[in-house]
Amino acid sequence: MNSEALLEVKNLKTWFFTRRGIVKAVNGVDFALRRGECLCLVGESGCGKSVTALSLLRLFDSPPGKIVEGEIIYQGIDLARCPIGHLRQIRGKDIAMVFQNAQSALNPIFTIGDQIIEQINTHLDLNREQALEKARMLLDKMRIPEVDRALTQYPHQMSGGMKQRAMIAMSLSCDPCILIADEPTTAVDVTIRAQIMNILQELKRNRDMSIIFITHDLSLVREIGDRAAVIYGGRIVEIAPVERILNKPAHPYTRGLISCLPDVSSESKRLPSIEGNTPNPMDMPSGCPFHPRCNRVMDVCRSVLPELMNILDVHAVACHLHPNLGK
Amino acid sequence: MTSKSISVLRKIAGPFYVNRRLLGYYWERLQKNKLSIAGLGFILFLAIVGIFGPLFTQDPTKADLEVPNMPPPGFTRQESIYNIKTNDFTNRTIEGGLTHPLGTDSKGRDMLAMLVSGARISLFVGLLATGIAVFLGTFIGVLSAYLGGWVDNALMRFTDIMMTFPFFLLLVLIVFIFGSSLAIIVLVIGLTGWTGAARLIRSEALSLRTRDFITASKALGASDTRIMFNHLIPNVISLVIVMASLSIPGVIMAEAALSFIGLGDPTSTSWGTILNAGQHSLETAWWVAVEPGIMLFLTVLAFNFFGDGLRDAFDPKASI
Repeated sequence: MNSEALLEVKNLKTWFFTRRGIVKAVNGVDFALRRGECLCLVGESGCGKSVTALSLLRLFDSPPGKIVEGEIIYQGIDLARCPIGHLRQIRGKDIAMVFQNAQSALNPIFTIGDQIIEQINTHLDLNREQALEKARMLLDKMRIPEVDRALTQYPHQMSGGMKQRAMIAMSLSCDPCILIADEPTTAVDVTIRAQIMNILQELKRNRDMSIIFITHDLSLVREIGDRAAVIYGGRIVEIAPVERILNKPAHPYTRGLISCLPDVSSESKRLPSIEGNTPNPMDMPSGCPFHPRCNRVMDVCRSVLPELMNILDVHAVACHLHPNLGK
Repeated sequence: MTSKSISVLRKIAGPFYVNRRLLGYYWERLQKNKLSIAGLGFILFLAIVGIFGPLFTQDPTKADLEVPNMPPPGFTRQESIYNIKTNDFTNRTIEGGLTHPLGTDSKGRDMLAMLVSGARISLFVGLLATGIAVFLGTFIGVLSAYLGGWVDNALMRFTDIMMTFPFFLLLVLIVFIFGSSLAIIVLVIGLTGWTGAARLIRSEALSLRTRDFITASKALGASDTRIMFNHLIPNVISLVIVMASLSIPGVIMAEAALSFIGLGDPTSTSWGTILNAGQHSLETAWWVAVEPGIMLFLTVLAFNFFGDGLRDAFDPKASI
């Protein structure tokens, strides 16, 4: 893995201006995605990880959503501000996205083949035969059996795993260099989850593809991730290589998350959990958004928002507990 | 046709063109509703009569004062003629004959020929005006739902205004100003009749718009027009078809009503015109009014039955 940053997100803020107030779903996210790495965005429901992913391609509903601040730099272009026509060239061709629920992410009235071909024709200038050949190849790479039959099938005629794989095939049709996978395994069962994870791993290894993998499941992070960013209250609270974050978490929230992983060998009857709920994004707590739930809360946490600071070269954390912060 | 326009056609005709199997499936479901098949049969019969009938019947405008108000075969009409010489009434019985199988009107015009010509006009006006209305309605509805925001607001308020505007008054006004021709009638009905369709399509498209596959195709680089034409419209096409078949009767009735009050195209013979002529001679020649009345009744009923059947066939939740 080289350290060249392929995609750089700086102080990204995506807010939703609703009738009941401003929802600060993403509130200052920084990260850089390197070529060929898998960056996991981890967090509870409602922490802003999906909106972060949607913001990268400006796919949230606008209005009410708006990127109020920050930059998303890809090949020298700021995706947060570039004209929509230019962004459309990048969507699907350079940066593709896989959705959580393939059932609803495929158009119910067209065959898989038609949809993949349509997708290919969006960016590439191929005739129908060439496009069909490419579609066949893509599905074959996703290890879909009986490719020719699959091409003529409608989404409702396929199983959940097949649909998810078809969806991935579709998003890979123009050889993107970044794949955003928004909880791609949440809606499928365990065996299919394993297959999908294998496919993603192969993509990373064989095609040198960068993957942004969004999940709430730390076991998947361990399986696929190179680095992980823990998101809480619309901000990254800790970012580090997966090994390090799982073994030496620095932020109390990360520690809480990891301690929540069920451990079959442990004696305790109750699963541990983090007390309290995710903060209401319309009414964020002052200071560190995690302080009402933090078991090591200090006075400073209630008033001062901790910045994301490096405690090691590769490990950054936003918490007042770390002595070299706030200096 | 270029391959580009073929592919656009494929997309809009959507699953019906691409998938014969799907068409077969709907046909099977439709067949379970006997009334709708009867309706379809009648519509097809009417279409054939309307297209080819005029080749075989007499000229519907040819008056023949030798045989005024001749009843259909099997019926008779009593006629009293005042004889000046004898200063007396001579009664005579007129019997229907096979030369005029549906009788004649007061000017001796052949009823069959007139009804056949009326069928042609009714279908022409019904299909064309509905086509315009449904096309506009679909386009405006999808545009409104997909673009949202102020576009949606503007289009829907415009729809509201069009809805509250008394369309018949407008029709009468326009016919009064520009004179009456079939083209004007078709245009006016088509250009005012899209409002209901637009609202219905908008509501359907609104719920489709939030579905993941729309976001997914956006994520993969699809443009707005591509999403509207390739994803939204094919998904509402079954609704469009049902709506069209159910709104044709209203259009046919509107045209008949216009002709009935004398604002129809004076150069053509439509069912409304015949009805109008027939109302003056109801006592002497009932068939002149009754025959176009029956035709209108059956046609409207046929389209309604067919539309109902289609709606059930397309509705995945209906158990038939």
